[in-house]
Amino acid sequence: MAPSQRRLSRTDWTHIAFLALPTLLFAVFYIYPVISSIHLSLHDWNGFAPNMKFVGLQNYVVLFHQPRFLHAALNNIVWVGFMLIVPTGLGLLLAAILDRGIRGEQVFRIIFFLPFTIPAVAVGAIWRWMYEPDNGLVTTALRLVGLGGLSQNWLGDPNVVNLSLMGSVAWWTTGFAFLVFFAGLRNIPTECVEAARIEGATPWQVFWKVSFPLLWPSTIIVLGMSAIDAMRLFDVVWAMTKGGPAYSSEVLAVQMYDLAFGRFDMGRAAAVAVYLFIIAGVIIMPYIIYMSRRVQDSEAE
Amino acid sequence: MKKTNMLAALGLALMGATSVQAQENLEVWHYYAAGSELAGMNALIDAANTAVDDATFTGVVIPGNVVELRRQLQTAFLGGRPPAAYQSSMAYELKTFSDGGQLHALTDAWAAIDGDAIFPEGVQRVVKVDGVPYGVPFDLSLINNVFYNKEAFEKAGVTVPTDWASFTAACDALREAGYQPLGNAGGTFWSLYNFYAALVSVVGEDGYYKIARGELGFDGPEFSEALDLYRDSMVSCYAQNWSGKTWTQTADDLINGNTGMFMMGIWAAGYMDTAGFKAGEGFDMFQAPGTVGKSIFQMDVLAVPEGPSVAAADEFIEAITTPDAQAAFATLKGSLAPNVTVDPSVYGYAGATFARQFSEASANNAVLPNLFFLLPTDLGTEFGVQIERFAIDPSDTVKAELISTLEGLRQEALAENAFIAW
Repeated sequence: MAPSQRRLSRTDWTHIAFLALPTLLFAVFYIYPVISSIHLSLHDWNGFAPNMKFVGLQNYVVLFHQPRFLHAALNNIVWVGFMLIVPTGLGLLLAAILDRGIRGEQVFRIIFFLPFTIPAVAVGAIWRWMYEPDNGLVTTALRLVGLGGLSQNWLGDPNVVNLSLMGSVAWWTTGFAFLVFFAGLRNIPTECVEAARIEGATPWQVFWKVSFPLLWPSTIIVLGMSAIDAMRLFDVVWAMTKGGPAYSSEVLAVQMYDLAFGRFDMGRAAAVAVYLFIIAGVIIMPYIIYMSRRVQDSEAE
Repeated sequence: MKKTNMLAALGLALMGATSVQAQENLEVWHYYAAGSELAGMNALIDAANTAVDDATFTGVVIPGNVVELRRQLQTAFLGGRPPAAYQSSMAYELKTFSDGGQLHALTDAWAAIDGDAIFPEGVQRVVKVDGVPYGVPFDLSLINNVFYNKEAFEKAGVTVPTDWASFTAACDALREAGYQPLGNAGGTFWSLYNFYAALVSVVGEDGYYKIARGELGFDGPEFSEALDLYRDSMVSCYAQNWSGKTWTQTADDLINGNTGMFMMGIWAAGYMDTAGFKAGEGFDMFQAPGTVGKSIFQMDVLAVPEGPSVAAADEFIEAITTPDAQAAFATLKGSLAPNVTVDPSVYGYAGATFARQFSEASANNAVLPNLFFLLPTDLGTEFGVQIERFAIDPSDTVKAELISTLEGLRQEALAENAFIAW
């Protein structure tokens, strides 16, 4: 009997049975929506009319020539850079400090992680209040320490609003990076660190030459999640500025939502979604592939 | 066998009970989630439950605003389970849904309540599409009033402005006295509502409707003049950092005496009143220059989706348009009852002032619906965004881009025959 014609064994059927449900769920809740979005993006439809009008690639072409779309796409890319550097770096710093066994470690652990447990809409409401430009907490605190001249129209100045949003997101998400890095540091074999210390390494050398390289699995998780969060960023921006003033803080997910439900333009919103899918794929997938190889290599070593 | 039959009967009975319960308990979707807005909506629904015997209506809050409600509605329409009635914006919003075949024509209910008699003409024209009513109004707010802090006016020696010259003079006097002259807030609507006063000053009521119908271009001299008037008379008066504030934060500035004036919808009067800053004592109001004797209004309606509950929904519509029901909502929320038969004595100082303004404007046939909702949705929304951008940066460059963007969208809408002759 040829190999291709052999009957499936009982084990094969067991594997298929286990795989059937996840495959079905993946097809229904991932593959189908993606295909449906691509189909919708080729049409002009307001979301309520009984019929859709086929417009080909028009939605993609129009978007590509709109400064509003390009600005939102650029904002997303800036957000990726920010999320990869700031919350990640702060989380690593806090984890490294706490890993040195300072007093009140458990209390600090809770304090650092607590903001991450707050829902995005609540984060938006809190920071909307804190960023009130004349009497908000941020402006008042700056005045109290004699830095009132640095206070800004935090959410109302198109040149400042993105930095303000990033400040609130850093406060919100640093806790996640901290927790993953802290857990990673605690899992590093103590003999490696001890050996380095016996050899005369300084604390800085111990961290950079021993601890940090062994943190690769944690780093991959944090950076990967941060990049994905940056591309799908929506809730905090929507809750705080709705993409304003005048589109200055808009990201692609916010634009997609505004087009779909604010302007009844489902086709163009779907085209934004497809663009976002492609941009995310181009930016994030190479990173994930690269990092996965690094992990395999380091495990092999 | 007997057991099987009994189980089947029990199952059928349970299914029947569920079905009856679904028919009786009808949902009314809205986004008034808290405070005076929720209290008003609950009072309105309570009035309907008292009047209608064979159905019970339950308010369901969809958190957010009209955008979130649209999202929820779309899902409900796709799933074939829309609510019995829902809160909707007026004019173009109703047209979009009725064109999509989703709305139940309220012709019978409208005749039963004599809608043509109890609602002013300016209100009627934004709840009808091609002469067919698709929504009934329940929440009307004027958006052309300027609120002022009485103490600030006294200290600055300012009298109530009556025209643009006295308005800018009041700004100067307030600024010299140490006040921020005119509050505003960030967002798509608020600068646009302020701009309407300048627009109406230049183009008049006829020009306002011509813009709504797409007949008056954004690249014409009238619109340019209106932008210049807005820039010179209002933008120059705006408080520092206004674009970073919500409207409630700016209302707080007026209450605290930091800001002298604030042009906002009349819901601001309700907010300040709730905060203990009373109309006629702490603050007062006047119609913005260019709109004296006129009323520009924003209004929400209740619409009924097509579905099995339309008969009960018709009864609901009749119940919520009675003078008592409309007064119950308006007095709790701090808005005006669109039904003109509501006794004006139900209002306090501020409400009575607004009712008088609206009555005068109705008599003058000078009731102007919010232009945002008269225009095709994309153009109306972009209008708000561009005016806010111009208010933040009133340079000639931004003005030229604003005109170009809006005129481009107007031409697109004309090509698609998207304008409506409201």
